[in-house]
Amino acid sequence: MEGTVEALALRKLRKSFSSSVAVDGMDLTLSRGEFVSLLGPSGCGKSTVLRMIAGLLQPDSGEVLIEGKNVTALAVHKRNIGFVFQSYALFPHLSVFENVAFGLRRRRLAEADVQSRVTNVLETVRLHGLGDRRPSQLSGGQQQRVALARAVVTQPSLLLLDEPLSNLDALLREEMRLELKRLQHQLGITTLFVTHDQAEALAMSDRIAVVNGGRLEQIGTPEEIYAEPATQFVARFIGRSNFLTGHIEGDSGCRAVVRCAKDVRVVIEKRSAHVLTPGSVVRIAIRQERVQLTRAFVADTDNCFPVTVALRAYGGSVQHYILRLQSGAEIGAEVRAAEPALRPGDVAYAGWTARDGRILSGEGWSREG
Amino acid sequence: MKPLQASRRKTPAVGLLAPASLLYAGAFCVPVLLLLPASLQLYVPNQGIRPHAYSLENYYRLLSDAYYLEIFGRTLLLGLVVTAITILLAYPIALYLARTRARYRNWLVLLVIYPMMLNLVVRTFGFIALLANHGLVNDALIGIGIIDSPLKLMYNFRGLLIGLTQIYFPFAVLVLIPAIQSVPTEMEEASRTLGGGWFTTFCRVTLPLTANGIATAAALIFLLTESALVAPRLLGGPTYKVAATLIYDQFLVLLNWPLGSAATWILLFTALPIASFFGLAARQWSAR
Repeated sequence: MEGTVEALALRKLRKSFSSSVAVDGMDLTLSRGEFVSLLGPSGCGKSTVLRMIAGLLQPDSGEVLIEGKNVTALAVHKRNIGFVFQSYALFPHLSVFENVAFGLRRRRLAEADVQSRVTNVLETVRLHGLGDRRPSQLSGGQQQRVALARAVVTQPSLLLLDEPLSNLDALLREEMRLELKRLQHQLGITTLFVTHDQAEALAMSDRIAVVNGGRLEQIGTPEEIYAEPATQFVARFIGRSNFLTGHIEGDSGCRAVVRCAKDVRVVIEKRSAHVLTPGSVVRIAIRQERVQLTRAFVADTDNCFPVTVALRAYGGSVQHYILRLQSGAEIGAEVRAAEPALRPGDVAYAGWTARDGRILSGEGWSREG
Repeated sequence: MKPLQASRRKTPAVGLLAPASLLYAGAFCVPVLLLLPASLQLYVPNQGIRPHAYSLENYYRLLSDAYYLEIFGRTLLLGLVVTAITILLAYPIALYLARTRARYRNWLVLLVIYPMMLNLVVRTFGFIALLANHGLVNDALIGIGIIDSPLKLMYNFRGLLIGLTQIYFPFAVLVLIPAIQSVPTEMEEASRTLGGGWFTTFCRVTLPLTANGIATAAALIFLLTESALVAPRLLGGPTYKVAATLIYDQFLVLLNWPLGSAATWILLFTALPIASFFGLAARQWSAR
């Protein structure tokens, strides 16, 4: 019975500040134990959503349900949530131990209980023996783990993370990604994670909700979001894509031909059965790492176009190319570093299969031009 | 919350401290030290200061005579009570002004410090008009029938308390606002997400984190009250004295500079330890 209740449900959540709409009718549900990321650029409203769930902000309209219970009007301290702030917000006047024990003491637990639970959670986040330190005596990564321990020790029904990794340096950030994921899995705690870093979202989430302009652009597993971006915004925000505009020349039902320029006719395998009328203008996306670069024309591929190399940049495991089509349009390609290098001015062929192209839904590109 | 790195260049402390130190030494330390030998001399009425004779006579007189002891005791008590009431009144207002995002915030701050733009003497005369036996307050209270005979609000502890609290209130607010602002609101939000109601959050987070600011404000108000001269003179009259008016009278009315000097040193050595104690107590308390 309980298992069917959603851990978190947002219903038509809306919030505006003075003149601008920050969150515009957001619907979202998390099932128990799920790790969901709210991914979007800064100012897209993702943090506002998180603060409304915590109760730190009051929505203009809409509802927040935690474990099936409407908490929209409930005070923050009665919601039984864990919140990790971007700045960690550790109490500088309290020891690490007392920081972690803060939530337990508010719940009036017996002292022996407090002792054992704090000790346990400090062990879980590998801070055993640092309980007597002050937060200021810890490294950034350790402070981050204290903030995490403090948020989960009360066994909240929901863990809310507001860009908790963005204050760490790059190497530590990647380490903490896995650490955080491991801890979340171990505790089985429902988690909503706010980030602007696509790599974080892809690495950690069960599902990703891409947010733009206070609205959900797309929600799905990391694989779905990456491979099947629904809108140009998602395609542009996650990974590197090439965007081409053209008009439908033909639609056989499972394959469409899009003419982008005089010599560029792109064959695309369609995901939906919806028939496109010939002549209608569409926007297509091709992931840069899907573009194959060859010296000779490949006859048996769906799409193959002569290009001139405009620029090559070496990137360790890969090499990036900017290629000029005969029409003058430029596309990017990401090729394994092991492939032979081409120099600017070289003539080559860029190709991809019909499966690699994707027709984007209209709204996204009409907004972005 | 990032750990401080020791990569910062060594601060040129001497250069930064020199101007203020010189002023402090020349305008405060030297004159006060000059009072030390003076305080050990003796003033004989109609003859003046006796030369080349030094003793602790003045100190003995000030610390054994019940009349002087009462004045020093009153001064200390007044300082503590004025400080406590001022902080209690100023903290909620400072908390509001530090946290509000209202557009009229700056106007409210201006309103708090506005009384400081009036000359202290003028302001204190205003208090006389309010607090005298036939002043506004008493006339109003008698008029509406709350009391039959006027309350004694001047030439006593109450009068000085009312006047000095009002005078030093803006100082306390101005010191407390930045102290409260330096606590990130996320501290309070973190407490609330962990299950702390507003009262718990205030007592366990906001108050301890602003303890140093409170101590600074308390030390400032206390020292200002200890050395207050104009308001106690006007509201206390010639007979209800505090240490500052006593010292003033010794120097300028009775011309007994040695006794005045000794009283200055006694005031300094009772007020300074108490003021420093505030800072110490705050550190102890917030580090608990």
